[in-house]
Amino acid sequence: MTAPAGQPWREADALHIDVRGMTPPGPLVAILRLVDSLAEPVPVIVHHDRHPQLLFPELAERGWVAEVVAGDPGEVRLRLTRTA
Amino acid sequence: MALVAGFLGEAKGRLLPASIPFRFFGAAVVFQAMAWLAVVIGARQIGSFAGGLGWPLAALHAVTLGMLTMTALGASLQLLPVATRQPLASRRAPAWLWALYTPGVAVMVLAMGLGQPRWLALGAATVVLALAGYALLLARNLLGARGMPVVVAHGWAALASLGVMLASASSLVASYLGHGFLARPAAVALHVSFSAYGFMGLLVLGFSFILVPMFALAEAPAERPSLASAALAVGALLLATLAACGFAPGRLRPAAVALGGAALLLHIALMQGVLKRGLRRRLGRPLLLLRVGWAGLVASLAVALALALGAGFERATTLFGVLLVGGLLSFLLGMLARIVPFLASMHAPTGRRGPPLPSALTAEGPLAVHFWCHLVALALLVAAVLVDSAWLARAAGTAGLVGAVAFARFFAVACRVMRPRAATAGAGKAAGLN
Repeated sequence: MTAPAGQPWREADALHIDVRGMTPPGPLVAILRLVDSLAEPVPVIVHHDRHPQLLFPELAERGWVAEVVAGDPGEVRLRLTRTA
Repeated sequence: MALVAGFLGEAKGRLLPASIPFRFFGAAVVFQAMAWLAVVIGARQIGSFAGGLGWPLAALHAVTLGMLTMTALGASLQLLPVATRQPLASRRAPAWLWALYTPGVAVMVLAMGLGQPRWLALGAATVVLALAGYALLLARNLLGARGMPVVVAHGWAALASLGVMLASASSLVASYLGHGFLARPAAVALHVSFSAYGFMGLLVLGFSFILVPMFALAEAPAERPSLASAALAVGALLLATLAACGFAPGRLRPAAVALGGAALLLHIALMQGVLKRGLRRRLGRPLLLLRVGWAGLVASLAVALALALGAGFERATTLFGVLLVGGLLSFLLGMLARIVPFLASMHAPTGRRGPPLPSALTAEGPLAVHFWCHLVALALLVAAVLVDSAWLARAAGTAGLVGAVAFARFFAVACRVMRPRAATAGAGKAAGLN
């Protein structure tokens, strides 16, 4: 299942968001907007088309961490989890 | 956690080593202090400055070449590969550029201050060579750019302006040795328009479309009005060129200023929209510096319009220069205050708890001292020009120098956090930007 770019959807394992094809800093903003909106510490899977170097300090400021997980060819897939 | 650290390490490997942008930023910090020192030394000539060798010209170029262009080079070398998804053609070239450009600017500034045309020519030749090399890097990167048409359009316009800036600068320097190849008034008009508004202005406006949304955490403005702003700016520069070449200057010069003003006001409106929509509302003193920068640029165009319409007043030309350069300087200092901790965080060693937070890398005390000293210095400098006072100019230079030292302290704090990684960043070149 997918949704329009930047729109999250829920699957059994986590919330997902696909930011591929969005113009920077659109992906950064969409991911942070989603993370900021979560009342519960639900994991978030990000489907990206590049390593989002600018995202990590912003996640760290919010008490989240990222790890790379297996994705489709050409995709950078991240799993975000809240630590604080 | 090991996975996270490993991944972050990989992501960081895609950035240029921290030593590259930070050597440009570090030199800019030093030149900022040098510029204010030159204001102190040349305080007697500041109010009546109308061009020519001396410490006011040295101060001007310590800011424009030493601070503004130096910062723009460092920021663009770091940001462009990320924005255009194109790696730099060479990872060694930026270090060579810096090694050529920095002493070149230092020699130029000192030669201007001491009135040494031959040394000025030597420094200028070095600077022209370095900036020509930068132009090649920039052109190659823009040619292969994918996406971000607004940034790319501003980049091309800045690149073309750089060409005019270098040609006019070469003629002006050569004229001190009796070999100028352009009429001096035309060369001065082209140099001012294409250096400040063209090269530096368009780079600043272009990167704002990445940096301001990033700082505010908002989507970039719509493409069409953003490109319209760039087109208006390019139109203004074309009209300014025609006026400088003697084609209906009485009508074209005010028209150029008006178009430039429209471009700037549209740009500011777009950025205000970004700030209003942003997730991050409290941007603190750096945002105030950006706003001071915008106000300075608008004010400079208002004075330019008065001059173009023949309604100038005594020392209006000097006031125009102070507002223009002060505006650009304020804007870039605001940008640096935000970007330095952010880049330091990305390059800092990843501890067991992940990377250090950008907020932990900001030295608020020195930044606050710098902020107030900078504003006081600018206000005193404007007053010094208006009443032609050496005392006020000297006070402005002193306040600016204290602020510059405080800014250097802020910069040193960020650098200290990154130090352990600097060696590994240099060793990890194989990771590349791809």
